[in-house]
Amino acid sequence: MSSRSRSSRHQGSSRISDDQIVDLISKLRSLLPEIRNRRRSDKVSASKVLQETCNYIRNLHQEVDDLSERLSQLLQSIDPDSAEASIIRSLIM
Amino acid sequence: MMHNPSKVKQKILKKFIMGLRSCNSSHENLSVSERRRIIKLSADLALASVRNGSRRWSRAIIEEASRSPDNKGLVQQMLGSDGDNHLPGPIPWEGRSDRNGAGHVTKSKSVVAASSKKIVKRCRRVRRSNGRAPRRNEAASIAKRLVKKRTQLLKDFVPGGRDMDDVSLIEETLDYMVWLRAQVDVMRALACSLPTTSS
Repeated sequence: MSSRSRSSRHQGSSRISDDQIVDLISKLRSLLPEIRNRRRSDKVSASKVLQETCNYIRNLHQEVDDLSERLSQLLQSIDPDSAEASIIRSLIM
Repeated sequence: MMHNPSKVKQKILKKFIMGLRSCNSSHENLSVSERRRIIKLSADLALASVRNGSRRWSRAIIEEASRSPDNKGLVQQMLGSDGDNHLPGPIPWEGRSDRNGAGHVTKSKSVVAASSKKIVKRCRRVRRSNGRAPRRNEAASIAKRLVKKRTQLLKDFVPGGRDMDDVSLIEETLDYMVWLRAQVDVMRALACSLPTTSS
């Protein structure tokens, strides 16, 4: 990455440079299942990558909410002094 | 980006359990929704504290949580044992009260769709008045504007994103994606390991 891309001279208004887009696309491609599974035919557009990234993070946030709900119900029925709780504690320590 | 995923997840789980135990011991009669809120907060703070404040998104999560007095105890407990985890520095948060959770989206798909329609309409108008405007430049400017719009959207998803320039936003996003995935894996592993017997 060029040093120019690292300078934050235009804080808040700097646009993403083409180099960064290429870099981002290659990194995101390895992280995003939707893009990774595509045929590597054409360039994936930057806006598509950004869109998929937003979707990916939003889905993860949704999973966090769902799992919090699930854990809330599960933990309610666990006695903190029970065998299960002490097992969990011992596994972590 | 993450050198030892299983070790990282162990750390996250350990912190997460710490938060959960405080939830169980101090509040006997929590409602399901309140318990859920504390569980989610514990998970988010566990992630942020393990990331250790070296990333702005992790500092943003901690700052966001600390602003509510209800959370002070939990924040203190989860972060206090390791000392000051987050780097000091000016955080321009004043007056931002339109978020109720780290990185949660407030815009809907219809906003993006409406914006896209506006872009296309604007370009059609340009074409009519110019007549001979080359199509390649139009496509490029549409693409640039779409990237700009999508980048704006992304800022809502990454904690602290609204105060980042585009360059930092992408770097933070790449990091946040990987770690958030780890948080989800930890939560799911815990949920699957707990007994499901009814009371």
